[in-house]
Order: sequence, then C-alpha cells, then structure tokens
Amino acid sequence: MDAESQRVLDYLSEVEEAAEDVLTAKQQIVDLDSKRNRNREALNALKNELSDSEKVKVCFGNMFIKFPKSKTREMIQRDQEQLDKEINDLRKGLKAKVNRLNEMQGKPELRGYSLSPLSTNEVKAINSLLKR
Amino acid sequence: MAATKVPEVRDITRIERIGAHSHIRGLGLDDALEPRQVSQGMVGQLASRRAAGIILEMIKDGHIAGRAVLIAGQPGTGKTAIAMGIAQSLGPDTPFTALAGSEIFSLEMSKTEALSQAFRKAIGVRIKEETEIIEGEVVEIQIDRPATGTGAKVGKLTLKTTEMETIYDLGNKMIDSLSKEKVQAGDVITIDKATGKISKLGRSFTRARDYDAMGAQTQFVQCPEGELQKRKEVVHTVSLHEIDVINSRTQGFLALFSGDTGEIKSEVREQINAKVCEWREEGKAEIIPGVLFIDEVHMLDMECFSFLNRALESDLSPVLIMATNRGITRIRGTNYQSPHGIPIDLLDRLLIITTSPYTEKETRQILKIRCEEEDVELSEEAHTVLTRIGMETSLRYAIQLISTAGLVCRKRKGTEVQVEDIKRVYSLFLDEARSSQYMKEYQDSFLFNETQTPSMDTS
Repeated sequence: MDAESQRVLDYLSEVEEAAEDVLTAKQQIVDLDSKRNRNREALNALKNELSDSEKVKVCFGNMFIKFPKSKTREMIQRDQEQLDKEINDLRKGLKAKVNRLNEMQGKPELRGYSLSPLSTNEVKAINSLLKR
Repeated sequence: MAATKVPEVRDITRIERIGAHSHIRGLGLDDALEPRQVSQGMVGQLASRRAAGIILEMIKDGHIAGRAVLIAGQPGTGKTAIAMGIAQSLGPDTPFTALAGSEIFSLEMSKTEALSQAFRKAIGVRIKEETEIIEGEVVEIQIDRPATGTGAKVGKLTLKTTEMETIYDLGNKMIDSLSKEKVQAGDVITIDKATGKISKLGRSFTRARDYDAMGAQTQFVQCPEGELQKRKEVVHTVSLHEIDVINSRTQGFLALFSGDTGEIKSEVREQINAKVCEWREEGKAEIIPGVLFIDEVHMLDMECFSFLNRALESDLSPVLIMATNRGITRIRGTNYQSPHGIPIDLLDRLLIITTSPYTEKETRQILKIRCEEEDVELSEEAHTVLTRIGMETSLRYAIQLISTAGLVCRKRKGTEVQVEDIKRVYSLFLDEARSSQYMKEYQDSFLFNETQTPSMDTS
C-alpha cells in the first residue's frame, strides 16, 4: 500500500473511532436511563405497595435478600443520584465528542451549544420571540 | 346561521419579482480570498471585492465590531452589489440590516431613534433554551376512578421507546391533562418535566391499521429512539431590537408585527444592555455583531453623522457599511463641503473601498448574467449592440432595455431578442443623455421653465 492510501485509511479509521465513541456514549446514556427508570419504579412500589411487613425482598445479582424497607429506599435513592450525575457527565462529554467528530469531517462546529441555558423565568420573559 | 365564507381556491402562478441585484449570490472569491473574474453573479471590481472579502472574513471571525466601511464610486459601478454580496456570504446566522439613507426621515420617529433601531436590529444575541422531557409511545393507560365518583383518581401510564419500557404512577393532575389531550394507547407523547405539559406528537406507525377510523389530520410518527428522559436544547438567535420591543410595550410582541414600534425609551435600552451583558458574563448568551448597511449615505445630515460617530464607539456595535456615489459635496444640514458629503472626522474612522467603472468586457458579462436572470435570450449581435449602449449611456439603462426588449420580442413571437428589438426599445425609451438633449431643445414649450438654473442642488 502506498503512502497516500495509508494516509486515507488512517484518517478514516480515526473518524470511525470518533463516531464509535459518540455511539458508545449514547448507548451508555440509554442504558443508564433504563436503570434509572427501573429504580424509579422500585421507589414507587416501595411507597405504594402496602405490605405490612417491615422487610422487603431485594434482588442482588441472582439472589433475593430480605432487607429493611427504609434501608432499601435509602440505597436506591443514593443509586439514583449517582445515575443522574453520571448521565449529566456523559451528556456534557457527548457534546465535546460530537464536536470532535464534526471537526474531523470538516463540518462546522455546532454553534451556541456550549452556552449555559437561560433560567425558566428568563425563557418565559422572551418566550414570544422563541416560539416563532 | 352565520354564513361561512368558503375560501376561494385559485391556482396562481407565482410571479417572482426580479430585483436589480437578484443575481448576486456572494462575493465570488476563492478560498484564498482571491476574486474570480466572473463568479456568483459578480463581475470585475477585483480590488474592491478582495477588500470586501477581507472585511467579510474579519466579521465572520468576530475580529471587528464597531468599525465602519465606506464603499464609494460612480453610479452604476456595483456598490450595492458588493454590499449584497457581503450579506449573502455572511449566511443566515449573522444579522444583516439594510436601509437607504432617506428611510430615516419620518414624522413618527426621530432620525436618531430610527438609526438606533437599525443599529440594534443588526446585533444578534444567541441564547440557549434547555428542557428535560419524557418522550415515548404510550403502551397503556390505566386510570382507576374511585367508586364513589369523587376523590383522588390514581392511574398508571406505560411508556416505551425502541430501547426500553417503564411504568409511571399518575397523580390527579397528570390524569386530568392526559384526558384533556385525549391521550390513548398508541400515541407518541412528550411530557415537559418542569411544567408537566403534555403534547401529542402523533400516532405510532406500529399501531396504524387499515380499519382504524381516524381523522385526516392524524399524523403517524416513528416510535422514539433512545432513552425516555431526554434533554432538549434549542439555540435561538434574536436581535437586540426584538428584545427592546417586547420590553418597551405592554402589549408585548404584537408590536413587532403591526409595525408600530414607536420610540423606545433609552432607559429600556439601557436595561436590556445591562441584562444582555450580565447573560454574557454568566455564559448564557453570545453577542453576534452583525452588519448594518446604509445605502445613499450622503442623504444623512450632520446630526446623524455625529450620532454615528458616537454609536460606533459603544461596545455593542455592529459593523457599519455605507455606500455613496457623491464626490466632494455639501454635507447635508451644513454649508461645508466635504468628500462624499461625509464629515472629515467620520471619514477618518472609515475603511474606504472604491469601485471603478466597468470595462466593455465586464459590461458584456454583466448584461449576459442579467439576461439569464431575467430569462431573456439574446442573439450575439443584439448582445454586442446592447453592450455598446451600456458603454455609451449607462449600465442601468442597458439592463432596463433587456426586459423591455424581451417583451417586444415576445410580442412578435420571436424566441431570441434581435437587433431590431433593441432598436425599437431604444427609440421608445430615452436614456438620460437623450432626455436632457430633448429638454434643451424643447424647453420653451414646457411649463415653468427656468433657463438660468445652472445645475441640480442635490443636497
């Protein structure tokens, strides 16, 4: 293989790698969100299912363990916070990854997505301008 | 019963008006900013196009703001064309406001108010809106009404995307808004997390059946992909003037459309400036200095010029491009003479680009481009004749002959404009020189003739 085609191949594999990076991050967000939703269902179940017993059966891996209600709730809530944080971080990183991919492909950078968002009050104030 | 008016349906072939500069699509520069002889509707004027290209790049990169450029040159040498080219190459993201010098003189608004509104229209503010939404296809809604009829309702909503499925517990409020929106299984909905607002996007394709009886307006959409809880980010670009307007009137944004914005108090402007600067510091907004183009700038008077001087110094200032065809002339509103009719102190702050008259070859090219734009076929000889006319009278006159000759040609059911058609319209419509010649010969028979008037006072 001559130098020219080697260069093209290198470039293409680099682009592929960047694209793969973006897709992985996206998939990870999806997985984490599905976990978050399952946790949310569990929290609702803990709140609403009116069983009198103090303990509930929790599945760890492939084993069911009887665990006190309040402890379980606390545990899931901690997990939930952790998940929220992770998803946020991934989303932040995703922007940088998409920008890198765009740059490699010679596409213009996404404009303005690095801005921090307006607060709800501010959005309300200029809503009429935005909904056109 | 009230008579309902049935809208009349008519097929109208859309007539597009052809403007004098409708053929301009850019400045016609290559990547190295070197002007091509003929490109994007621009012909010749290589030096001025290159100069405009450099300024354009600086505007795009945001290097310059609060600068002013003057395009000076004889009538019909492409000053407005260059400004249009800049506007076209800036793209939709950079605000471009164009006005003619005489537009600011109005009884309803002071000159300076009109100018400051134009300035603020040319400054864009980029902001971002972010919302957390839950988006998915409704698999099932189950609502339990209490047997007594009153009391809290409870329910469950199952949503899915292509990747996952989950069950939400519903409270009273959500049940109400779901039934108000008539959400049923198979709909694709979004729920705004902050406000709880539900909107229906359509019905899922997978639920489409032949025998489903549904309205014509039912839209079918794909089942959403990815996660259920999404974040939606939208970037908007608004102009400072638009923000001014919604804040200056109680009736709000309606004023934008009625055209009656009136005068905006300077306190309002100051407040907006302060707010926008605050946003910028918090990283919530980006300022995009745009371009304000003032054609026929010699029509402005002394007050406007001193206002411009001041306005260019403010930190929220766009790039000002002006065009004039005047030489050394009186500044409007004074008795002083000055180059281009612009005071020396303002001239000192300008970057000046000059345009020069077109050569015969360039005139020929422009006429050809205009023929294509106006959809008129020109024979080779007619083209040569028209070029001569353009050189001897003016380019504008020759361009006007194109469409009229085209009409004459169509009248005699020809397909190509011949020399005779050109001759005919040349005899029908006088150019400026022949018209003044005619005046000189017959002015005794006109009313109110004043032979002693030496020349037109243009200011």
